[in-house]
Amino acid sequence: MITEKGVWNRLRLRLLFTGPTLFTFITVMIIPFLYGIYLTFTNWDGISTTQTMVGFQNYGAVFRDADFWKSFGLTLKYVLFTVVFTNVLAFLLAYVLTKGIKGQSFFRAGFFLPNLVGGIVLGFIWQFIFNNVLVYIGQQAGIGIFSASWLADPDKAFWTLVIVTVWQYAGYMMVIYVAGLSGVPGDVLEAASIDGASGWLKMVKMTIPLMIPSFIVCIFLSLQRGFMVYDVNLSLTKGGPFKSTEFVSMHVYQKAFLSRDYGVGQAEALVLFLLVAAITLLQVYFSKKLEVEA
Amino acid sequence: MKLFKGSSLMVLLLAFVVVLSACGNSADSGKSSDSSNADVKITLLNSKGEIQTQLEDAAKAFHEDNPGITVEIQAVPTGGSPFERASALYASGNPPTMIMMDTGDVEKFKDRVLDLSEEKWNGDAVVNATDLTTFDGKNYAFPLAIEGYGFIYNKAVVDKAVGGSFDPSTINTTEALEGLFKQIEASGKKALVVSPMDWSLGAHYLPLAYAGQNKDMAEVNKFVDALRAGTASIADNKVFNGLMDTFDVMMKYNIDKASALSSTYERGPELLGKGEVGIWFMGNWSWPQISSFDTANGEYGFLPVPISNNAADYGNQEISSAVSKRLVLDKEKATPEQQAAAKKFLDWIVYQDKGQDFLVNKANIIPAFKNITIPAADPLGKSIQDYISRGKSEQSMSALPADHWSILGASMQKYLAQSGDRALLAKEIEEYWKTAK
Repeated sequence: MITEKGVWNRLRLRLLFTGPTLFTFITVMIIPFLYGIYLTFTNWDGISTTQTMVGFQNYGAVFRDADFWKSFGLTLKYVLFTVVFTNVLAFLLAYVLTKGIKGQSFFRAGFFLPNLVGGIVLGFIWQFIFNNVLVYIGQQAGIGIFSASWLADPDKAFWTLVIVTVWQYAGYMMVIYVAGLSGVPGDVLEAASIDGASGWLKMVKMTIPLMIPSFIVCIFLSLQRGFMVYDVNLSLTKGGPFKSTEFVSMHVYQKAFLSRDYGVGQAEALVLFLLVAAITLLQVYFSKKLEVEA
Repeated sequence: MKLFKGSSLMVLLLAFVVVLSACGNSADSGKSSDSSNADVKITLLNSKGEIQTQLEDAAKAFHEDNPGITVEIQAVPTGGSPFERASALYASGNPPTMIMMDTGDVEKFKDRVLDLSEEKWNGDAVVNATDLTTFDGKNYAFPLAIEGYGFIYNKAVVDKAVGGSFDPSTINTTEALEGLFKQIEASGKKALVVSPMDWSLGAHYLPLAYAGQNKDMAEVNKFVDALRAGTASIADNKVFNGLMDTFDVMMKYNIDKASALSSTYERGPELLGKGEVGIWFMGNWSWPQISSFDTANGEYGFLPVPISNNAADYGNQEISSAVSKRLVLDKEKATPEQQAAAKKFLDWIVYQDKGQDFLVNKANIIPAFKNITIPAADPLGKSIQDYISRGKSEQSMSALPADHWSILGASMQKYLAQSGDRALLAKEIEEYWKTAK
């Protein structure tokens, strides 16, 4: 609470606390963002010392770039599956690991562990597993589905990405759900039991509605991570085979730095930003309406 | 509280000063240490990962000859492109003194790098070595290495297959190549391994279809321009179809036929070196990896990639080669002392015994300079030098658009995995060129 008298005094005290953060935020977030918007109106190639203004030409190019929309569609599919699977698995894990079973802290730590491994390293590890370990096992044991590398087939490569992502994030979301589950008041559930509610009914009518805030956070996080995925995509499949698993972040990066089309790449990044912002804001807005009080 | 009120502005200012001065210091520190000392420190961004240690040794050797100059070798991360890394370093205001680039990248950097036309080594460079890096009569890059590619054969395997000493000049048509594949299979080995990397298929194999159009590079460029304009057809082009006929044969005898895309680069040198296959489509840069598996007493060589069944057609006896790596010198942040030191380093490579030794014997590079007479150190380099000296060399397409290898490499992978036919491949090539920069 700022109680100083006078505009200058109040401003001064505010700046004392928020100033450094504000300064950093403006210099490393706002200015580059605005500069990025400026670059979408130029034909810069990423390195030359001169750049020409080209108006809205780059935005036109974004809408004509069929590969961009194809990779965006693929990303949507990926987001759909990872969000659903990650959250279902995370919730189940959290539910089981709050029952008080033996060694539950150990299991919690174990499921959380994949989060501590960086995406690039994780991608390489799984690449080895899918390319070598599973193929070896598949060939020795005669399991048809594993006898050829999953990463060489467009559909299977997509599912490897989903599997690895779910494996990586489920533990993290589980931690949030564990906190949410422990926050559900015991007396409410007890009262429900006395009224004769079954376990399933308690879950659907009491626990889940009371945990809406956890769901909002977890779905928001997994949505945002799904849309922005790059590291696992790069190290696990490199967008291959033949660009069939190239997600939208990778496409934007390649447009800007590989095709040397910085202006179009930047415009695509901005379009992507707007789309993802809209989707996540809508998600938060509508799920907020589901919140209830105990 | 009163004390706090009075001093809050000062604390705030102090905080800013600390932040700002921290920024200022780090930006200046590099320069001030350079000008205050007599020692000059220069950096080289290396994009040929396989010679990283050799370059570090060369930097040490150069330092012994020139105690005032220290060369630090930086590496482009594996899989990264030199262009990406260099533009990121420029964007951060911290470019290396020397950057090793691919030929096609030099033009983009020409506003930021030194004009090297006045350097002595220009006069000693081999024919055409600086053509692609000369703009408005000024040469901006130092030609570091000639590289070539084609079918590498393991002599021990093919000798056994043909029952005698193998003569590479007998392979000059697609039929002859298939005949050799059959002989190798009959001798109990696998014929060849096709590495499915997009850069190998998109930057090396497919460009043979452009370069093979004509012996005259100007005609090749005209063909590429016609592709851009959409007036040339690839689908019924003779060279393209001949090249893809050869590719069909390669796919038929590929050891990894069952799952063509799951093979990796590392598998190629191992299979070839151990003699499990007779042939691998790759370039002379792979020698260090092959030699670590070598079972053929170091006897390897190149075969051309045939594009027809008429031995006299251009391309059937030629090996694709060109200057592939260039060094450019930064002019924006490098001080005059650093620029002079970097130029000295280039002269050292071309004219000093130790420099030449590094280039040819240590780094296994085929030099792009006439005055360097040391023969290539490895069998693959020797084989390419042999083709060049006999006039059997086809200029590689080293200035293709930057995303050519990635986009059309993917199209080639699709063909290799039999997810698309030749008509689709031709369509994708034509589509690509219409929008290529």
